Amino acid sequence: MGKMVNLKIDGKDVRVDEGLNLIEAAAAAGVHVPNLCYMKGMKGVGACRLCLVEVEGGKAPVIACNTKVKDGMVVATKTDRVQEVRKFVLDLILSMHPLDCMTCTKAGVCTLQQYAYDFDIKESSFTRKKFGYPTDQANPFIKRDPEYCVLCSRCVRVCKAQGTNVLEFSGRGVGAKVVTAQDRPLQESGCTFCGSCVDACPVNALLEADRSRKGREWEYEKVDSVCLSCGSACGITVSSKDGEVVKISSAASEGAAEKYICAIGRFGFDSLNSEARLRTPMKRVNGELRDTSWEDALATVAEKLKAADGEAGFVSTANILNEDALALKKLAADVVKTKNYDSSVTLYADYDSLKGGSADLDKADLFVLAGTAPDQWARVLPALDAVIRKRVSEGGAKLLVINSGDPKIASAASAVLKGEEIAMIEQLAQAVISKGVKAPKEMVSALAHVDPSDAAMAAADLFVAAKSPVVLAAPSLYKAAANLSLIKEEAVSVPFEANARGVVLMGLVSEGKKFKEMLSSRSKALYVIGEVPVDKRPDTDFLVVQNSHMTDLATQADVVLPSTAALESDGTIVDYLGRVKEVRCTIGAASGTKSHADIFAEVAGAMGSAVKKGKEADVKKALKAKTKAAFSPFKREKDLDVDGERFIEAINKSTINGSRLLWLKESEKGVLA
Amino acid sequence: MIEELENILERYRKKGGNIIALLQDTQESLGYIPRMAVRFFSEELGIAASRFYGVATFYSQFRLKPVGRHKITACCGTACHVRGAEKIIGGLRKELALPAGEDTTPDGEFTLEEVACLGTCSFAPVVMVDGGVRGKTSADVIVKEIKAIRKKPDEG
Repeated sequence: MGKMVNLKIDGKDVRVDEGLNLIEAAAAAGVHVPNLCYMKGMKGVGACRLCLVEVEGGKAPVIACNTKVKDGMVVATKTDRVQEVRKFVLDLILSMHPLDCMTCTKAGVCTLQQYAYDFDIKESSFTRKKFGYPTDQANPFIKRDPEYCVLCSRCVRVCKAQGTNVLEFSGRGVGAKVVTAQDRPLQESGCTFCGSCVDACPVNALLEADRSRKGREWEYEKVDSVCLSCGSACGITVSSKDGEVVKISSAASEGAAEKYICAIGRFGFDSLNSEARLRTPMKRVNGELRDTSWEDALATVAEKLKAADGEAGFVSTANILNEDALALKKLAADVVKTKNYDSSVTLYADYDSLKGGSADLDKADLFVLAGTAPDQWARVLPALDAVIRKRVSEGGAKLLVINSGDPKIASAASAVLKGEEIAMIEQLAQAVISKGVKAPKEMVSALAHVDPSDAAMAAADLFVAAKSPVVLAAPSLYKAAANLSLIKEEAVSVPFEANARGVVLMGLVSEGKKFKEMLSSRSKALYVIGEVPVDKRPDTDFLVVQNSHMTDLATQADVVLPSTAALESDGTIVDYLGRVKEVRCTIGAASGTKSHADIFAEVAGAMGSAVKKGKEADVKKALKAKTKAAFSPFKREKDLDVDGERFIEAINKSTINGSRLLWLKESEKGVLA
Repeated sequence: MIEELENILERYRKKGGNIIALLQDTQESLGYIPRMAVRFFSEELGIAASRFYGVATFYSQFRLKPVGRHKITACCGTACHVRGAEKIIGGLRKELALPAGEDTTPDGEFTLEEVACLGTCSFAPVVMVDGGVRGKTSADVIVKEIKAIRKKPDEG
């Protein structure tokens, strides 16, 4: 904790951290300082001039966003003088802003509208001025209308801070305009359509392209949930109207580095109603998949599982919820009595790597990326890429990249150790130890033969200087990389799927065949849950596919069971940082579908056994299992190398192909061609 | 063109990012800032293309389009304004058939530039044609000169 200072704001005494600006200090005192351009967590730039306040003893008003608190300061935020300035500024802005609040989608959440109301400005006293800049609506995600822009630069700054770096101002003064390089449409600018700029815009200059005429924010029902598209497991706020999702935005609090979601998380929801959506069970009759009833489908599955006599296999995605995983484990182990139940986790991780470690990205002052290569352009753990870049550009954190290739994120790094990852980790650890930092005995002796390079010595300085370094490791390198956390702070492994940690903690840990083996060997019955990166029917007598969408694999199944999609059932997951996150049902199950856990219970029922639905207490109990950090040899887990880009695309195939994301995929192909 | 850009880049790579000077040199050597120059520098230096574009549009000295073979500079200073600079510019735009918002003829022959003051107010209104000053002039006089230039296409 930093030093605290005392000051008075509008007659109220407040005690706040030294280093806060006056907008934050005023907020702590319950006073709102009007502003259009300030963004929590980022430097104040004074673009809008609305946050002017008077400080006792000062000659002229100062901008609150860029003035730090001082002990004994006396601040007045509502003097006649500053109110007059604010009104004048608003008057000027409104002279160029369309006064069409009655049809504007942003009405109700528009900051300018709010202030115009507060200051009672019906229309500008200046002559109306219009530049007639065209709207960029050549993509299905983000509509940019410069006519509404108040030049607050929030979008430009947020885009820069997260390293996407697409938006910038062209020109200057009132004629300035937010543009991409050469003023091209977004899809030609390297934009990833994450939509961070849309969340940042205080007015209607940036809006989700499909929101127009789809209701205003006050009509929306909002629920916080989690995006399950990849290992980042970002918090999302889902807005729905009349049972349809209309908008998804980041649920992270203002100013948190994790306030970022990618295009899949923000715009993939169209796929909930895509053509491929399954709404009724199907069964293969005379070689053809036909609709059938739940009773018939469940009875068929039950009969075949029984007949498999312990030789059935269950393979699941790791995107299912903890409750689903618990029910699946019970069904497989207790009812079907097989040892073969696994998740796609084993394609890229060993179970142990997903059991330990936790970290706080907002507090970390050094990120060590060991083999992990998050990339917002390739949509591989895009949020992690953006969060790290933000912490580096805005929070003063440092980045150390350990990778045998040339990942894009290295451009934000203070140091890069290029080479075989295990060797590089060894060199780094040895370099740190050689600088006199204490380490466990076994580690010191295991590294005795290692002679660190100059680059490793330089990188070690970063590690030694850092107070709270966080090691983010590819699962196959986790055990080796976690040795660094025995020296200092934390290490976590970063899986590709949202609930990878959860499914392992819930016990979906095969005692028989693992994922790959079940798909490559012959089986009597195979039960596939969710979207897994498998397109071809494995060699099995009987194939069940349980998913929300028709997949290539499902078309080859004997029975297809329609499950709820993400956003349609309640439960919990455990993200890569070890946080338990609540996934909340936001729109209810699509007609004809059931949650994974319910289907497992009904299959068990059809087999004559009862599987109780996983309760909160069961989940909590399972979460308690923790492994203690201990030294492990510097070795890589074998056969876990998966192409992250392909894998994440494969597990999101139905989402991408069933939504406007398909347009993005195609247009990116076009750019590359 | 790439070769010229590489030479310019080498000069600044050592000095460490000075976008303005880099763009100035580019314009001096090529007459304007071509799109591909921005892309080239962005890739080579790891600085976002949008950043170059932002700087290039902020300062009025930078041109993003090629300049014409013949440059006509019309003064819009106070004295020239009073003496009818606006009329001259209107007449010249009409003669050159410049599309709205453009300052260069589609054939790349002429560029009409407007400047704040040429510093020869006693000759107002003033227009410069390819570096030569024409004082106490009018649209008709300059139009004649444009026609003459058009007849001698080899000169330039």
